[in-house]
Amino acid sequence: MVSKIVKVTNEQGMHMRPATVFSAAVTPFDSEVKIKFNGNEYDGKSVMMLMAACIKCGAEIEIVCNGADEEAALAKAVELVESGLGD
Amino acid sequence: MYKGIEASRGIGIGSICLIVEHDLSFESKHIDDTEAEKARFNSAIDTFKSETAAMAENIRKNIGPKEAEIMEGHLAMIADPTMAGEMTKMIEAGQCAEAAVTAVCDMFIGMFSKMEDDMMRQRASDISDIKISLLKLLLGIEDVDISKVAPGTVLVAHDLTPSMTSQIVKDNVVGIITEVGGKTSHSAILARALEIPAVLSVPNITELVHDKDTAIVDGTEGDVYINPDGEVISQYVIKREEFVKAQAELKNFLGKKTVTADGTEVELFCNIGTPKDARKAVECDGEGIGLFRSEFLFMDRPHLPTEDEQFEAYKEAVETMKGKTVIIRTLDIGGDKDIPYLGLEKEENPFLGYRAVRYCLSNSDTYKMQLRGILRASAFGKVKIMIPLVTCVEEVRAVKALVEECKNELKAEGVAFDENIEVGCMVETAAASLIADMLAKEADFFSIGTNDLTQYTMSVDRGNANVAYLYSAFQPAVLRSIKNIIEAGNKAGITVGMCGEAAADPLMIPLLISFGLNEYSVNPVLVLTARSIISKWSKEEADALAAKVLSLTTEKEIVELLKAEAK
Repeated sequence: MVSKIVKVTNEQGMHMRPATVFSAAVTPFDSEVKIKFNGNEYDGKSVMMLMAACIKCGAEIEIVCNGADEEAALAKAVELVESGLGD
Repeated sequence: MYKGIEASRGIGIGSICLIVEHDLSFESKHIDDTEAEKARFNSAIDTFKSETAAMAENIRKNIGPKEAEIMEGHLAMIADPTMAGEMTKMIEAGQCAEAAVTAVCDMFIGMFSKMEDDMMRQRASDISDIKISLLKLLLGIEDVDISKVAPGTVLVAHDLTPSMTSQIVKDNVVGIITEVGGKTSHSAILARALEIPAVLSVPNITELVHDKDTAIVDGTEGDVYINPDGEVISQYVIKREEFVKAQAELKNFLGKKTVTADGTEVELFCNIGTPKDARKAVECDGEGIGLFRSEFLFMDRPHLPTEDEQFEAYKEAVETMKGKTVIIRTLDIGGDKDIPYLGLEKEENPFLGYRAVRYCLSNSDTYKMQLRGILRASAFGKVKIMIPLVTCVEEVRAVKALVEECKNELKAEGVAFDENIEVGCMVETAAASLIADMLAKEADFFSIGTNDLTQYTMSVDRGNANVAYLYSAFQPAVLRSIKNIIEAGNKAGITVGMCGEAAADPLMIPLLISFGLNEYSVNPVLVLTARSIISKWSKEEADALAAKVLSLTTEKEIVELLKAEAK
């Protein structure tokens, strides 16, 4: 299992479009991708759960990946969040 | 007569098609053959996906890509493992498909509707829309096919969902009435895009009408009449003719130059707040951008926008305008705006305090980032820099010196920009107006900001209801000031524009023609109206009216005269 804490920097936080971009990008990985935020854990492959987490701009989230391709999945997820989730 | 919210202008008279809310109740039962139930569920999901995709495509083609995003969002949501996936799990556990759909959707609706964020709460209504569509498919309920309604139909519904709107055939639907929704709701936006008169939020209207009732929809005033008598109908037939004629006349001005009745050409630009608004300006036939407010780049974010971010935003607007002028106003903020990272203190008199060019000149590193961003964008079209809140000549000189510094840096870095970029100033303070002749020697152009000019000239806070009566651009003091500024600019041979609300005011336009204004910058939706009014006045007529106006001593007399003489 690998994980990293990153800061969400895109203006709108995890809204519809950023959540769609994120989940679409991590879904192809075999590993589980979880987001830890505010003491809860959310499925990173689910648009609905990502939005339900109510992650705002400036929030710090922990991305946790677990599985055969966990390193690659984490690298992709971190890169996405740091580049502003396509916003 | 019933009152509602006027959401899309125009008059519609026609026969009602009532879109009834279906009874979506079902009996929850235990399922033994879960495989068959799953097949029934999957076929409903497949139909939902293909119908939604078709609607998205339909909206994208007929209305626009922005409007289609809502339907595309529905597709992303249903494809989510927690939606169809969770529903399937419940069916496997023996629940019927209707119960599974309801349980999962209701859970998310509950979750999203409790959120503080407006945009997130909007998601709750999206999920509700998905739930209704799925239940209808599962229960075999067929909706009225809106695409097949007869010509002359007035649609009446509790709410107009995006799926309904996408089926509307513009030639057949003459009006829309709903029980919910406001001016910015999805249905309002779509009704305006389709140019169908609409009145929203009419209480209980679905219970007050029947199919085939006659209805009048006045989307300009927000009035609805059901089964009105012949006299009312003939009044509204006349009103409708007048509206259609006025709209058609305005359309005649599409693609035309803006000229006065005696043939003097002026420029008619638009005021915008974001790069995307530039598209609106193009659609509305604006001839350029007279005011691009740059504040949006700085608001609602945790840190200063970088030079690159600013450059990209300015470039987007400049490229959209394809070589037409784009005047970018540099940062115009002060202690009244909450931008934490700028560290501006709350002031007792923010409008007389540390703001706009005053702030920028003492934070030259921040200001240079913006100036460099603008200069870089100037390589992609015709850009001008506009300085807000100028009160003395030194400020213009200081900004021009910073612009020169930035140019030299960019040159050294080998970055392209427009060498001849113009630097002009907003004339919006009493001080700037009084020294307009001196400023005209330093600035490449003027733009009169009538909102602030009125506020500063009349010493009146327009937000204060006790003194708001003094806030009028038709006060003799403000009119003299405007005249003085335009004449000083004309004398020095520089362009004088106006980017306040007054530039589109039918009462103000003849005075501006008489004073010699070169460029009018208005809200994009008012371009054709302003062009039409400008075309009605010759300089000679405008001069005669202006002479009378300037001899009057009160605002009341001036407005009365202008109204009486209006064309």
